Amino acid sequence: MLLSFANLDTSPTPSSAPTADEPEHSEPAAAEPAAVPPESQAPAAASPPTDPAAYEHMRTLHPSAKSVWMIKYALFTTVVVLGIGAYEITQLFSTADRMLPVGTYTGTVLALGALITIGIPLLRYKYWRFTLMDEELFLERGIFNRVRTVVPLRRIQHLDVSQDVLEREFDLGKLIVHTAGTRSADVVVPGLAYAEAEQFRDDLRNYITEDAL
Amino acid sequence: MASHMASLSDFSAPRSLHPFTLVMQFIRSLPALLLLLAPTIIRGSAGETRLTLTFALMYAVITVPLIIIRYLRFRYWIEDDEIVVHSGVLTRRKRNIPMDRIQNIEIQQSLLPRLMGMAQVRLDTAGSASSEGQLEYVSLNDAHAIRQTVREFQRAEQMQAAVAQTGQEEARGDTPEAAPLAPAPRLSTDALQEGLLLVAPDREPVGPTAEDADDASTLLFSMPPLRVVLMGAYRFSLLFIALLLSATQYLQLDPEEMADLLFRGPFQEAATVIAESPWLYGSLVLFVAAVLSWLTGIITTFVRYYGFKLWLDGDKLQRKHGLLTLQEGTIPLQRVQTLILRSNPFMEWRGWFRLELQTMGYDVDEQGYHVVVPFAQREALVPVAENIRPLVLPDAFHSVSPITIRRHFVRYTVALLALVVPIAQFWGRAWWGLALLPFLGLFAYLHYRHHGYATTGNMLFIRRGVIRRYIFAVPLDKMQVFMNRASIFQRRLGLKSLSVDTAGSASVTYPEIVDLPAATADALLQRLHTRFQRYFRARRAGDPPTDLLSQAAAEAHGAGRPADAAPGTQQAAPEDEDTSLERANGAEPPAPEAQAEPSSVSSSRS
Repeated sequence: MLLSFANLDTSPTPSSAPTADEPEHSEPAAAEPAAVPPESQAPAAASPPTDPAAYEHMRTLHPSAKSVWMIKYALFTTVVVLGIGAYEITQLFSTADRMLPVGTYTGTVLALGALITIGIPLLRYKYWRFTLMDEELFLERGIFNRVRTVVPLRRIQHLDVSQDVLEREFDLGKLIVHTAGTRSADVVVPGLAYAEAEQFRDDLRNYITEDAL
Repeated sequence: MASHMASLSDFSAPRSLHPFTLVMQFIRSLPALLLLLAPTIIRGSAGETRLTLTFALMYAVITVPLIIIRYLRFRYWIEDDEIVVHSGVLTRRKRNIPMDRIQNIEIQQSLLPRLMGMAQVRLDTAGSASSEGQLEYVSLNDAHAIRQTVREFQRAEQMQAAVAQTGQEEARGDTPEAAPLAPAPRLSTDALQEGLLLVAPDREPVGPTAEDADDASTLLFSMPPLRVVLMGAYRFSLLFIALLLSATQYLQLDPEEMADLLFRGPFQEAATVIAESPWLYGSLVLFVAAVLSWLTGIITTFVRYYGFKLWLDGDKLQRKHGLLTLQEGTIPLQRVQTLILRSNPFMEWRGWFRLELQTMGYDVDEQGYHVVVPFAQREALVPVAENIRPLVLPDAFHSVSPITIRRHFVRYTVALLALVVPIAQFWGRAWWGLALLPFLGLFAYLHYRHHGYATTGNMLFIRRGVIRRYIFAVPLDKMQVFMNRASIFQRRLGLKSLSVDTAGSASVTYPEIVDLPAATADALLQRLHTRFQRYFRARRAGDPPTDLLSQAAAEAHGAGRPADAAPGTQQAAPEDEDTSLERANGAEPPAPEAQAEPSSVSSSRS
């Protein structure tokens, strides 16, 4: 019979449950390593150990993705800098005492914008990894929040390939994988070569099953 | 069958709603009229009266004819395989709702319609959050007849599908999705002894509700009125604050006058004494607030859950409850995603729990969750849940990393400082707020103690919450996307959070394991998705294992412990190996962990 729920709160003291697991677990762990495929053994030492697709073997995005992101950030920075610059120009003619020299705000925003425009795309590109396995899509990404997502292919509801104006210039596309999930319903792989994105979509299409729920 | 034919013939020709609709729509439009007339009623100044009277006239000219025309335009009927609804005055809508797409037929009776024997019928289909078709109002008999027609149609459809399926199965070797989801009703003897569960498999269900549950259904759970009161006693509702506020707003009462009125005569002395001592005053306010919230909790619960009943009807759950507004609803078992056990410290102390289901696809009612067992002891609740999913509650949960205490404490402290420091600039005494710090520490610790994860059978359990306590039971075959995340702070401390996404409605609290040691999080993620795949491969082969996850949490927990963490590559080895092996063979290898029953869950119910 089940123990009472009141016990749920008190029972798992760090010593009780884990010690029980240990012997069962250490046995297969000791026996198995010889059977590991050689190609995954070498990088495993450096990469997250439990990743079946070793981080080093995962695909990066298309390098042009960096350019697309940079242009987007640059455009955004320009808009903001223009706005702030316009404000500062209007303030030029005001008679009130200025605490800071002219152009401080514009300069700061420009510098920050430049930093973001160059830094974020580089870092984002650097940490974006994905790999398509037999039965799942692995994504690893994030500069500050490092996220690893596993999308089982049988959970795919439908697929989209999208391309905005900038991406069209660089012949890139986004692959959007829709699942029935709630908090991560859409998984987006940006910065793929457009033809490749379409190829992925066609490959993945075969996995769309009727009983995705 | 005869009644079926009769009801079908009744609905085959276009019908209008019951004329009572006119009355109800008129009553419903009255608040708007009152709002227009409010200035006149309250003040009654001459200049405004003319204006308001104009408004009232406009109302009479526009709204009343609109109600009548809308009623006259509305037509519905049932064709061979669909329900047709024509409606609309300016924009005319013709809606055909295929009967096999209808997921849920909800019959709702609020107070006045209920007294008049009227009901509102809502037809929900998959893939739409809002109701597809709404018939308000039809007579209760018509409502039941409509439901009966749809049900019989669906049942016939299922029979045909089942026949077709068996034919296909022979060709393909496929199993239907519903197979593991609709286990035969199982009722434990102790639950029966408790008197809560009544089984009526072959006869008409007992009680006054016999007319709406047909012969095939089994009563799973019901609550006597006293139990509903008890349930309310464990819930604190802050609704009374809203009620008080709106009452003072609406009646334009002066709080001070009210206080004077309350503390007349003999109470006057008490009032002055109380007013002189801030401590007494404060504690009295708290006491009154607590009593009021307790009472409102009881009342709202009683109104809402009075006469709660839950039936199992084939592959659907049906429930019915409500004192003034009577609600009836259907939950297809196939649509059930996550099971959620909820409680609060008081409830858990006395062993009470509440079972909710996260469902997929329709009806974002009740924050997207359906309460199927509002209030029951664990022994009574588990057998009911067994009818929904095979459920083995774990007796022990694995803890997350203790570093989470520190992280939460820091987080709470920062929040407190953000609150206290600015206030203290104006009001020096606010620094006393820092005296709360030890309590924050305690709360952070409690947070850690009440957060945990475990696996039994094919379920992942995640426990969260100190005040509002949740135990999420996520079935392996309902998992959608697996995710690990590590914020910049978590990475510094070697922590990760793991979450499993399911289909259905989103809510504030969701199943996520926060602050696991990174190695544990990776190991658990790995185990979850490989076993997920293994489950579906096995299901295609026709024999899905039932205890794939039973060992997963324990193994992952072991993987994160410092003693084991050193030979990191070996953690990956067994799992890597068995997936690649499976892929090579294209078949299910004997799972090594399936034989050894985990020590922590071996005392599961038989």
